[in-house]
Amino acid sequence: MTVNSFSFSRFVDVTLPKVVIAPTALACLVGFYGFIGWTAWLSFTNSHMLPHYEWAGFVQYVELFGNDRWWQAMWNLGVFGSLFILICLALGLFTAVLLDQKIRAEGALRTIYLYPMALSFIVTGTAWKWILNPGLGIEKLLHDWGFTGATFDWIINPHYAIYTVVIAGVWQSTGFVMALFLAGLRGIDDSIIKAAQIDGASLPVIYTRIIIPSLRPVFLSVFMILAHIAVKSFDLVMALTGGGPGFATDLPSIFMYQHGFTRGQLGLGAASAMMMLFTAAAVVMPFLYSELMRDRRG
Amino acid sequence: MADSYRQTTQAKLARMGIYAMLFLLALWFLAPLYVMLTTSFKSLDDIRSGNLLSLPQSFSLDAWKTAWDSACTGVECGGMKSYFGNSLKMMIPAVLISTLLGSLNGYVLSMWRFKGSDAFFMALLIGTFLPFQVVILPMAQVLGMLGLENSTGRLVLVHVIYGLQFTTLFFRNYYVTVPSDLVKAARIDGAGFFLFFFKILLPISIPTIMVCLIWQTTQIWNDFLFGVVFSSGDGQPITVALNNLVNTSTGVKQYNVDMAAAIIAALPTLLVYIVGGKFFVRGLTAGAVKG
Amino acid sequence: MGALSIRKVKKSYGDTHILKGIDLEIENGQFLILVGPSGCGKSTLLNMIAGLDDITSGEIYIADRLVNNLSPKDRDIAMVFQSYALYPNMTVRRNIAFGLEIRKVPKIEQDEIINRVAKTLQMEHLLDRKPAQLSGGQRQRVAMGRALARNPALFLFDEPLSNLDAKLRVEMRTEIKLLHQRLGTTIVYVTHDQIEAMTLGERIAVMKEGEVRQFGTPQQLYDLPSDLYVAGFIGSPSMNFIPCVLGEADGVGVVTLNNGKDQLISLGQISDIQRPFVGKPVILGIRPEQLTDPASAHSDHPNMQILTAMVTITEPTGPDTLVTVNINGVKTVARCHPRAAGVPGQSVQLSLDPTKALLFDPVSEKRLA
Ligand SMILES: Nc1ncnc2c1ncn2[C@@H]1O[C@H](COP(=O)(O)OP(=O)(O)OP(=O)(O)O)[C@@H](O)[C@H]1O
Ligand SMILES: [Mg+2]
Repeated sequence: MTVNSFSFSRFVDVTLPKVVIAPTALACLVGFYGFIGWTAWLSFTNSHMLPHYEWAGFVQYVELFGNDRWWQAMWNLGVFGSLFILICLALGLFTAVLLDQKIRAEGALRTIYLYPMALSFIVTGTAWKWILNPGLGIEKLLHDWGFTGATFDWIINPHYAIYTVVIAGVWQSTGFVMALFLAGLRGIDDSIIKAAQIDGASLPVIYTRIIIPSLRPVFLSVFMILAHIAVKSFDLVMALTGGGPGFATDLPSIFMYQHGFTRGQLGLGAASAMMMLFTAAAVVMPFLYSELMRDRRG
Repeated sequence: MADSYRQTTQAKLARMGIYAMLFLLALWFLAPLYVMLTTSFKSLDDIRSGNLLSLPQSFSLDAWKTAWDSACTGVECGGMKSYFGNSLKMMIPAVLISTLLGSLNGYVLSMWRFKGSDAFFMALLIGTFLPFQVVILPMAQVLGMLGLENSTGRLVLVHVIYGLQFTTLFFRNYYVTVPSDLVKAARIDGAGFFLFFFKILLPISIPTIMVCLIWQTTQIWNDFLFGVVFSSGDGQPITVALNNLVNTSTGVKQYNVDMAAAIIAALPTLLVYIVGGKFFVRGLTAGAVKG
Repeated sequence: MGALSIRKVKKSYGDTHILKGIDLEIENGQFLILVGPSGCGKSTLLNMIAGLDDITSGEIYIADRLVNNLSPKDRDIAMVFQSYALYPNMTVRRNIAFGLEIRKVPKIEQDEIINRVAKTLQMEHLLDRKPAQLSGGQRQRVAMGRALARNPALFLFDEPLSNLDAKLRVEMRTEIKLLHQRLGTTIVYVTHDQIEAMTLGERIAVMKEGEVRQFGTPQQLYDLPSDLYVAGFIGSPSMNFIPCVLGEADGVGVVTLNNGKDQLISLGQISDIQRPFVGKPVILGIRPEQLTDPASAHSDHPNMQILTAMVTITEPTGPDTLVTVNINGVKTVARCHPRAAGVPGQSVQLSLDPTKALLFDPVSEKRLA
């Protein structure tokens, strides 16, 4: 009988996985949670060009909430976000349903609908900036087509500029929404549809009463993703309008970037970053919560 | 008879309607690409005399040449080429490192679970929802403290850290579908942690590796926020350079050069999309539906 | 020499106790079966023997060597999994060679071993295929081949046949038994199929809820189950449990069975353990094969008891017909000759072998022996 000895390979079995995961754990702990804490701390200081770490209370938040530009940015986010989400959802679902009708060139069409997703928002913004420019863009096209009185100057019009962001955003993201819905449609049990057909339901009825309601989880995750894209969207606006004209297309992300990095208002930038986090959390939490509940039940 | 005839013509009309709508949608998605391409081959005069949809009068590559090696991005006037190189130099290591780490993490989180590993995975998952604005200020401080001046190095580090949650997720979600008996069998055969990973698990994860590589490539190549915040001067990635080029307000606006530059910036990811479309879509859906 | 010895082994995850103190011991060359319902901890115990799971407390010895702190590869074991767990990216040959390579067996020797194993299991023609190109039965064979190649002190099988169809399962069962007899290997084999357990095992441990209810030879388990659970688990169709009250007449135990009218049945000599139960409710356990039509009964026994009962349903199995009757308010199955089975509604005579009848305490569920 051998003695109960310490075994090296057994020690390795237990320790190695933890060693392997350690760098990521560190990155996650510091890079996410540590930095969130750090940003939160900065938002309670009087930092301007350089970070100071003396507690200054809520001054930055007071300043932020008294700042018209911030509220303009939040309002813009609300307008852009809700239109962007709504149109993407509707158009994406519509396209997916059309594509689900045993279309002959489905593969090619899908490729066409989805390619914008492979582009950088900067590229998308650049392209639409050119297409929408009032001198030589769509306006000129309309004139050439005979609508000589037509004006299409949304991109430089403070009242309409935000809608150009919506147009470009929808153009880029609809294909993606379509892909998610199409995957959802393909995942539906065929026999349910067959049973409904045998019951004599027409195609529109089958879609509105059976198929689309059963896509509820897809709706939920698509909504989450679009909301997330909207909250952090930055590059699209930077390339398309630069936040202008004036602050007509300013967004919290741009506000944060400019105060935190180009205007030497670290504290205010940090406070606006925290507000962005809360906005994202307000949208994401219900989703995560329902996922957790589902995990617990299942 | 007449009834069924009516029904079939009706069905035919409906199908024609569907195809017409799909065709219009395709036009709407393709139009900007068409405009970008034709504009990039036009001369400035051509642009002024024609319109968005008109074809180039004479096919010219001048705008492309300018965009590639002499267009001004702010004060510099060296075109996109060095920025294209910058993006490649940061993308390749960042993609490879984050994919390798992600696969190892996924392996541990699915087959070598330990107390707290599920909680860690949850913590990582939440990271996928973070708006990065909330971490960039401290990150800039830390990079400054570390004395990491090189833009490429900074961007590689940042992209690895903030790409890990996605790459880990991809691999973890694949590896939980691999029967756990496989790792048990290998342990009894005497294969240790790494031997099993490299000899058995990696060879069967090629599709997931593709998904991950493509996802990371497009994410990192297309990134703008990290680029604009953490890089400077001639170390900037191509997205930042493109934005500078387009928003440089000196001289006559050269739309043809802008478009050529935009296409240059888009080409790598478009190519990846065309070659690996299947994996690209899978990555999008997987990255989206989170588990 | 002890091949495997398990002493007071416990396993808990937090507050859930999966194994509650297991003691088992087998000799070299023995075939041990762990059998029990799903979730009773069979796989957990096997994984702990293999070193794939930690032990909460207790000791495990393989070939007289304490292995608690040894990693799986140092325990001199091989394992066959329910899902086969073949490496999908490797050919059959490489699957078998993998463990040998890691143990640095010289190449020439590897080839010899692979050829020998392939021959033993008649799978020479499969060696260059990938697992995806094999049928279920073939994968099973390869999984066994991979275990055999290593020639370990102990083989572990976790429900290796449960993914096969019924016919193949019977074939492979015979093959495993032959292999064991020919090679004299020591095997621990997990199953939840009691027929597999009875046909293969030399020692059977019947487990339930993390405990070993009985550990013995197949015949011991069949003839003298220690409690109601084991009695019901072993044998198919399972043992009839008839509630009745124990009586005593001249030192002989008697019970009353009722099917329309009371019929007094005398069992064997009453034992000291049974005596306190006289006048109290007990459970009479009688296997269907010991309740049969008088002509089929082994009537050399002088004391065969006869009772009459009305048939409620008959289920022909071919050689026999299972006849269900109602005794003391419970459904009772008898195994009769097809011609003596009667039809529903008809009365038949059944003879009962009193020496095979068992009595159980309805409270503790233990057999009263
Ligand atoms: N990691 C774990 N944490 C908590 N409980 C576990 C864990 N692994 C297994 N169990 C529990 O341990 C019990 C025994 O599981 P085990 O797999 O050993 O059963 P089994 O007898 O092999 O069943 P089966 O016939 O279905 O294979 C089950 O109730 C299971 O839920
Ligand atoms: Mg099991």
